[in-house]
Amino acid sequence: MKLPPVHRALLLGSALLLPASRAAHAQQCLDCHSQPGSSVAFKNGDRLDVTIDQAAWQASVHGQSGLSCTDCHGDIKDYPHPDTGDRSSRDLALRLYTSCQQCHEEQFKKTLDSVHQRALAAGRRGAAVCSDCHNPHAQQKITGDKGKLLPAARLHIPLTCARCHAPIYEQYRHSVHGAALVTGNPDVPTCIDCHGVHNISDPTTARFRLASPRMCADCHTDRSRMARYHLSTWVLRTYVADFHGSTVTLFQRTHPDQATNKPVCYDCHGIHDIASKDDPRKGLQVKENLLRTCRKCHPDAGTSFPDAWLSHYIPSPDRTPAVYWAQAAYNILIPGVVGGMVLFVGTDFVRRRLDRREHRDRRHHETHPTDHP
Amino acid sequence: MSTPADRFVPERRYPRFSPSDRVQHLVMLASFVVLAATGLPQKFIYLNVHLLDQVIDAMGGIETVRVIHRFAATVLMLATVYHLLDLAHRLYVRRVALSMLPGYRDLLDALQAVRYNLGLAKRRPRMDRFTWEEKVEYWSLVWGTIVMIATGFMLWNPVATARFLPGQFIPAAQVVHGGEALLAVLAVLVWHFYSVHLRHLNRSMFTGDMSEHEMEEEHPLELERIRSGLEPSAAPEEIARRQRVFLPLAGVVALALLAGIYWFVTFEQTAITTLPPR
Repeated sequence: MKLPPVHRALLLGSALLLPASRAAHAQQCLDCHSQPGSSVAFKNGDRLDVTIDQAAWQASVHGQSGLSCTDCHGDIKDYPHPDTGDRSSRDLALRLYTSCQQCHEEQFKKTLDSVHQRALAAGRRGAAVCSDCHNPHAQQKITGDKGKLLPAARLHIPLTCARCHAPIYEQYRHSVHGAALVTGNPDVPTCIDCHGVHNISDPTTARFRLASPRMCADCHTDRSRMARYHLSTWVLRTYVADFHGSTVTLFQRTHPDQATNKPVCYDCHGIHDIASKDDPRKGLQVKENLLRTCRKCHPDAGTSFPDAWLSHYIPSPDRTPAVYWAQAAYNILIPGVVGGMVLFVGTDFVRRRLDRREHRDRRHHETHPTDHP
Repeated sequence: MSTPADRFVPERRYPRFSPSDRVQHLVMLASFVVLAATGLPQKFIYLNVHLLDQVIDAMGGIETVRVIHRFAATVLMLATVYHLLDLAHRLYVRRVALSMLPGYRDLLDALQAVRYNLGLAKRRPRMDRFTWEEKVEYWSLVWGTIVMIATGFMLWNPVATARFLPGQFIPAAQVVHGGEALLAVLAVLVWHFYSVHLRHLNRSMFTGDMSEHEMEEEHPLELERIRSGLEPSAAPEEIARRQRVFLPLAGVVALALLAGIYWFVTFEQTAITTLPPR
């Protein structure tokens, strides 16, 4: 944002003056709220621990930037605090999280489109709001330069989601992606790489399903990233070239909300429990595993049926000679036959025109012998 | 020199295609067009061409297109069965010459035509009832139909096919089916359109006959034979006797072939309907 110099000077001045007074204000609250064991009782019997870890607050991104408690808790200005009328601690959380939009408008607006917000609107009061994922009293800075997530923050994401989605986290933790994440691998996806962040969409819709191959392909067609694990980047193109993939991508292009029974990546490879292709129990390079996968939709499939799917390989003379040589034959046959036909038709056309002209000239000459001496 | 009165004498016309031939051509033409229109866009989905997506949409969407394709394929198979019975009728009942069979003569005609076009021969080959160009077309159709029915069976019934053939034959069948389709459509566009539309609009497949002038131009040898009265014909009572033998036999064979088509079409539904996703 470009501002006139006068405004910039004013902003700088207030930035220097204000934090000091705001921090002092926060210290006033902490005088009581840093005492261990203080809690509030609600009408429904909930007890909420209102102790703030002073060190954590001061180290937090909010403490660091000198926010005052009343920036968020705007209704508490005096002591004794007024009765806010909250019947439960969840009432309190659901009333307070909207104050995040004062500073984080972009993120807040995104959450309004999220599956969590829709669940909340439908009356599921446990659905996550800002403060369920980001503890405002202890939240560390999670992005570095250019808004890129810090490595430590990435590691923490699945744990945050796991607070509500524990069974899925258990699957993810043992998957090829989750297991690598724990070792600090920056290439594998965390929850938000597939589901998005803030505007997390409903992953059970037809739209999400049809769009999912692109999502997987974002990483799986990235050459430099796949080269580190010796993985093929042809996975999307070979999928799209086959019946399943062509139907799915066609629907995705023309009717993104169309339901289809044609498989997308995760129907065969698994979702949160996705395994390495060589995994003895689930890996699809293991023939029995592939057959079991095919039989989910084609229950009568025999043992050689899975070979009808080329497992994302480009046809080659060693692996799939029938496919390779069939393609090679038509690569020659089509231009050969059609080219030969065009050659004959072309010469025939020219020859017949020449013949006709000659014939006409001769007739003309016979009827008007003096025109052309 | 012709007198004005001559102009009003109707030109003699020579029969070329029976109503049965013409109906076969029409049915084949319709199914071929529908098969190409519903098949080729499927072959090129992966190219991500907006226009092709719209064409598929206009035909009712990909699932519908696949059903229409199978319907047209069934029509073409029925036409093939009819054609086989018609050939048998020709062979046994009418005992007419199989004028579509290719021979050494056709190779010579083709070479002479090429040489004439290049200015290496003095005259065009004089051709009989079916020219070498027409034989190329007919036998291409025969070959193409065999290939398309065989590979179409494999794509229609992949689970059954994989029971007696290696699994990779199914993607190979997909390659052949698509390649042969492209070849057939291009061949029709070049060869057929040139010889019966562009070079000279030949209406005989619709009217059933040809003018004397057309016969002189395209089938001079046949015309000579007709003029010389050498066309053989069997006695009507003999034909009626053979017909009595032929009809029950043909009925049995037709039923067997129709049962085969029914089996082909209903054997498995994997390629159109799979289980709902879980």
